[in-house]
Amino acid sequence: MADYLSAILVCLNPVNLILIIAMVSLGIVFGAIPGLSATLGIALLLPVTFGLSTTTSFVLLLAIWIGGVSGTFISAVLIGIPGSSSAIATCFDGYPMTKKGEAGKALGIGMTASFIGSVFSILLATVLSPIIANLALKLGPWEYFSLCFCAITLIASLSKGSIFKGLMAAGIGLLMGCFGADPINGMARFTFGNVNLYGGISTVAQMLGMFAMCQIIRDNAKGSTKMPECKVENMKGLGVTFKDIKDNIKTILFSFFVGLWIGFLPGMGSGISNMVAYGYAKSISKEPETFGKGNPSGIWASETANNASLGGALIPMMALGIPGDGITAMLIAALTIHGLQAGPLFMVEQHDLAMLIFACVLISAIVTYVIQIITKRWFPYILKVPYHYLYTVILVISFIGGYGISSNIFDIYVMLALCLLAIFMNIAGLPTSPLVLAFILEPKLEGYFRRGVSYSHGSYAEFFTRPISCILLLISVACVIWPFISDALKKRKAKKAA
Amino acid sequence: MKKPRRDVITGIVGLLGCAFFLVFIQKIKMPPKLLEPGPRLLPYVAIIIIALSSVALIIQGIKDRDKEEKPYFPKGGIKKITKSFIMLCIYAVMLNYLGFLISTPFATFAFIYDLKGENKIKPIPSAIIAIVVTAVLYLMFVYGFQVRLPSGKLF
Repeated sequence: MADYLSAILVCLNPVNLILIIAMVSLGIVFGAIPGLSATLGIALLLPVTFGLSTTTSFVLLLAIWIGGVSGTFISAVLIGIPGSSSAIATCFDGYPMTKKGEAGKALGIGMTASFIGSVFSILLATVLSPIIANLALKLGPWEYFSLCFCAITLIASLSKGSIFKGLMAAGIGLLMGCFGADPINGMARFTFGNVNLYGGISTVAQMLGMFAMCQIIRDNAKGSTKMPECKVENMKGLGVTFKDIKDNIKTILFSFFVGLWIGFLPGMGSGISNMVAYGYAKSISKEPETFGKGNPSGIWASETANNASLGGALIPMMALGIPGDGITAMLIAALTIHGLQAGPLFMVEQHDLAMLIFACVLISAIVTYVIQIITKRWFPYILKVPYHYLYTVILVISFIGGYGISSNIFDIYVMLALCLLAIFMNIAGLPTSPLVLAFILEPKLEGYFRRGVSYSHGSYAEFFTRPISCILLLISVACVIWPFISDALKKRKAKKAA
Repeated sequence: MKKPRRDVITGIVGLLGCAFFLVFIQKIKMPPKLLEPGPRLLPYVAIIIIALSSVALIIQGIKDRDKEEKPYFPKGGIKKITKSFIMLCIYAVMLNYLGFLISTPFATFAFIYDLKGENKIKPIPSAIIAIVVTAVLYLMFVYGFQVRLPSGKLF
């Protein structure tokens, strides 16, 4: 507790607080503008952190993350286009409320629900992570391998579209992770005689190429950089009363736990939690027919759930070193850049930094709410930022980031190659999340597997005879098989109905 | 002849990629007397996953061959994305030879025009913005964040 309080004091130190305010504001802008996202914000900030201390780096990255995730509801409410997939369900009732002249209230609900979801989930993550980390310390390489394997299969099977596309993307991620020296013997793999590849593919180059660059030139080619006009009235005040919270308490509580649990599971995250929570809110409502026409409960459900996913994703990242989604994968990459490794040992050996991360996320969530209350009336102006200037700056910063990793132009070429790969993947309909997760987890997956076999004197049986490892492997198999069983059941049902 | 579906093309490209990497896996040196599977294991696992998924995608594509497939980009999209990507490549080469300070104002100006879409922009303000963006980013990264920027092989 004392460590946590001193971490909060570190965050409240004037320099750090100013950085949090600045980055949260930037995050809100990134979250609010469709096409930009917290993920992109973190990818662009990664190179900035090379020359900064670990504390300052994490203050910057975490603040932009929280601001970015919270800001996604702004465009969903004002123009009916979600800032990211985490606010899709917010559009259903947020935009109709704006059309009815209730934009102020809809934004107020979005802000308050985001605040409730993020603050309470972060507090729970702070309490639960050390407990889970302590349990994880008792696990061996067999269980860790199965855990990493389970995370990859889960995210691949839950990807949009066909499971084969998810698996293929995960396979590409694993292959990319194999470039350079192998984690056990240091043998060179796929270096093609180039010494620059001995250290493997740079994570920063991968993030910038596959997220920032690809997204910008793809949006430009698709012509999706035009923003509709937004007309808003009644923007004064918070727009939410305690009675509103009391009336929606059931929806808020359920959405919170749904968001927390879905955020905890690798690969699911806020993109799914907001839809599940929305569906539930509609099912328990006395007026389900009003959903989609401007029912405030829809916004409460969606925004509480997507922000509760923040804390949920933080638990496996901090306690197990397993990223729950693309953003936490980047945060793990940031830890690696600073010579640290997320996981149970991190919670013990770097206890102060772990507490700082939890404290910083909490302070950022509070600062986000305060900034949103103060700046609410100016939200419509965020959506008027000219894309061609903003995207140009992002492209140049991506190049700086690509070069800044090792002051070597080779990383820029790698970044361009990965941008091209991401464009082809987009055209082919292959999702990028399984690729990123597999790429980040590859060294761990391989290291734990080979160590496990080595410790068992060449035997593979331990992976199946140790209960936790076996359960995780069974879950992985179920993840791959389930979509086929589910399809077959649906077909049988449809046949019966016909 | 009917154009093959994207899934089929993806599957074929995936299989070709697997064949390419399979050749290079054979070149990975294996340390002697290993108690564990060695450095070739995971690359093998990765290409098996890609190969199986590729075959599945080809089968799926053939099954769905009569279904209509919407083009990913609107008309002219491929031309636009190719143009943008070539511009990025030119900028990368310019950075290598001319350095950040000389190449960035030109690249920024070109990017603004490339990304303008249907917006009307004036050349002089755009040129000023290009120079200001270069200067601000240079000062911010070099002096603020202590990040080195390319100075150019020719200088």
